[in-house]
Amino acid sequence: MKKSTIFFSLLSVLVTLSLLLTGACKGSGTATTGDKPSGEQTITLNLGGEVNTIDPNRASWSNERTVIMQVFDGLLAFDTSLNLVPMVAKEIPTVANKGISADGKTYTVKLNTKATWSDGTKITAKDFVFSMKRVFDPNLAAEYASFYFDIVGGEDYFSSADKSATEQAALKDAIGVRAVNDSTLEIKLIDPLPTFLQLLALWPVYPIREDMVTKYGENWAQPAADGSMPGYIGDGPFILKEWVQNDHYTFVPNTNYWGTKPTLTKITYVIKEDANVAYAAYLNNELDQSGVPGGTEKTTMADPNLSPQIQRAAQLVTYGLQFNVTKPPFDNKTLRQAIACAIDRAAYIDQVRGGVGTVALSWIPPGMPDFDATLGTDFAFNPTKAKQLLSQAGYPNGAGLPKISFQYANSGTNPTLAAFLQEQLKTNLGIDLVLEPYASKELSALVNAKEFSWAFYGWGADYPDPDNWLPQIFGTGAGNNKTGYSNPAFDTLAAQGLKELDNTKRLKIWADAQKLVVDDQPMVFVFNRETFVLRKPWVKNMVITGMDGQIAGDMFLRDVFIQK
Amino acid sequence: MYRFILRRFLWLLLVLFVVLLITFILMHLVPGGPWDREKTLAPKVIEALNRRYGLDKPLWQQFTNYIGGVLHGDLGVSYSYSDRNVTDILIRGLPKTATLGALAFLISQLIGIPLGVAAALKQNSPTDYASVLFSTVFASIPGFVLGILMMILFSVLLHWLPTSGWGTPQQLIMPVICLAALPAAQIARITRASTLEVMRLDYVRTARSKGLREDVVRVRHIFRNSLIPVVTIAGPELANLITGSFIIENLFAIPGVGRIFLNGIASRDYPLIMGGVLFYAFAIAIMNLIVDVLYAAIDPRIRYD
Repeated sequence: MKKSTIFFSLLSVLVTLSLLLTGACKGSGTATTGDKPSGEQTITLNLGGEVNTIDPNRASWSNERTVIMQVFDGLLAFDTSLNLVPMVAKEIPTVANKGISADGKTYTVKLNTKATWSDGTKITAKDFVFSMKRVFDPNLAAEYASFYFDIVGGEDYFSSADKSATEQAALKDAIGVRAVNDSTLEIKLIDPLPTFLQLLALWPVYPIREDMVTKYGENWAQPAADGSMPGYIGDGPFILKEWVQNDHYTFVPNTNYWGTKPTLTKITYVIKEDANVAYAAYLNNELDQSGVPGGTEKTTMADPNLSPQIQRAAQLVTYGLQFNVTKPPFDNKTLRQAIACAIDRAAYIDQVRGGVGTVALSWIPPGMPDFDATLGTDFAFNPTKAKQLLSQAGYPNGAGLPKISFQYANSGTNPTLAAFLQEQLKTNLGIDLVLEPYASKELSALVNAKEFSWAFYGWGADYPDPDNWLPQIFGTGAGNNKTGYSNPAFDTLAAQGLKELDNTKRLKIWADAQKLVVDDQPMVFVFNRETFVLRKPWVKNMVITGMDGQIAGDMFLRDVFIQK
Repeated sequence: MYRFILRRFLWLLLVLFVVLLITFILMHLVPGGPWDREKTLAPKVIEALNRRYGLDKPLWQQFTNYIGGVLHGDLGVSYSYSDRNVTDILIRGLPKTATLGALAFLISQLIGIPLGVAAALKQNSPTDYASVLFSTVFASIPGFVLGILMMILFSVLLHWLPTSGWGTPQQLIMPVICLAALPAAQIARITRASTLEVMRLDYVRTARSKGLREDVVRVRHIFRNSLIPVVTIAGPELANLITGSFIIENLFAIPGVGRIFLNGIASRDYPLIMGGVLFYAFAIAIMNLIVDVLYAAIDPRIRYD
């Protein structure tokens, strides 16, 4: 915090001057008619931090996806509006085209016979079978394996670490994924799973080359000493030519790409962890796109030279303030509602988040099915109602209320958020909030052990569907249910929603389930995150979606071109 | 002398063992493990990860396994750098950190010593005041502030230098200056003080009264003896600089050991933390040993028998 404060008192004075010296540029990042590639087709972007792994089966972090997406294409993908489109699959499987069986348990995916690997060899169904079985390899410990436990035999193989090699081999064989022929893949599920197609569009089941894994072992996705990636063969628009760990990645076009070939001739990812440095690098033309350091959004918007370079887009991310509902005083629903009414979200976005983001009053964000703008308005900011509810909760004017505390990670804008909450509760309810800062891993441990009282929580879409948003977070005892929330009515609806094959009915079920959650307020819904980046005017056609990885616009780098 | 070195070396092994043990205990006492995330992993996945990295074993066994590995030169695999070998990670980061540190050390000596000597020889002159001003300013500005100031000036305003990164000589300039500034200031101050002290000693007066030429007095009698305190701090300073600065490496996006170690701590990457600590402890102990040996070479009163 101290560092960035110093930086900005200096920088705010100097930036304008620098732009005067360099000559300001004007223009927009999205392509308009008349834009066409010219000049060197290269782009340099900031990955923000080094990855753990770029093995698609094992990856889980957004910066890992940012690398993998350039090199691999899956069976299906999301388009810029986040609708499913076929990639290596010839068409999207449906009941009508016999891609999905009537009982919803068998998926038959036909492959596009044009699809090839970057070395020119054909992609076959076997490449997908290999990858999908490898996800469940007990020794690999793939972090997203549990997402695919609905595939027959997957969980059994994943849990077989203590079994003998023969038993393991039998379990692996029993996994319900097989190649009917070179261009037909069959997947069997334990139960119908309406969102299974979305799972087929995610990175853990991208195709993987068995021969490369055999040749290089688990190092197939690792660079050689000179930074080259001999084993990392993909089927996407780019090839990862060089990876110098902790320093940079270089991508070049895949000359054998079977889809529309990209225009960019080189993508470079550098790794600048410090937001201030990335911003300075952007101003020095070392980066073609960069975020701005937290807290400087408003000065950026007011800057006549920088404001035309701003790109903003809604993200499928909701932040809330989750209560531990298993412990007093937050086991009191009316008290939670009172607090929800006492927090001025618009002021928070304006004062703490530099005006970036939108007020959230419910959990599912705009841009997703089941987003409901009218939901949660009962608990919008309303100090009068907050006081009434506080008194109904048994604490008139805060009398008799035990000590309440807020736990937060002592980094980024969190301390400012904490101070803001403290001020809001004091002003609007007259109650004192105790602030308890933690290191971020410490906080995660505290929250996961349900030893916290009240904490910040954010959720981003793995895929744009309510079933990724509700049961895991609000289902009784669910993995990401940190609040301890338990509502039998919700659980009943969730059980139905997860299996319902009729999409209209299914979305209605989830909408009803969300209503229960909003009324119970196990967390105060605060805001939906928004992308806010600066982009050089010569970068064209770089579309930001709600599901980008670490870099805004990274899902569609294949469409980007430079006009210099 | 050799017995002294050998004895110190054996002590070093004991020190390293204790350092590892303490680190291991502290590391596991700190709340939050490598798989604690905001977005929780499935319990079965956590189980599989623990098994993969041997974290399902009792702590004492994890420690003995680790020490066993270290004795065979195996520092384990990192959780957060795609299972790469920790030894390999540190070795790849070391040349970058060491280059930076060695250059910063050289520059700090080349600036600090002459500045201190010049100030002392012309006490209370403008040269002296300039030297004191230099040491006060650079001893009080933290490296990262200096780094940011330079970045604004040389990258954002003048566009002379790249902000950060690794690979070209231009990218070295700012981080080296940042790292060298503080030690240069300290060395200038210490050199000045010790030169002033030595200048007033009897043997210097004797040398002068013997009729020795002034430059001989200065070089042979004053300069050599005034260096003893400088050498004392040079050792830890060199260790400090060569092992790198977490903050400067992070700021300038330099893929060195310091930055890797810092990331290791943040992600609770146990083998990387242990490997990093081992490396730092070893480097500092060795540098101190070298300094002790150098004392004997400089100061005729010190002998190790």
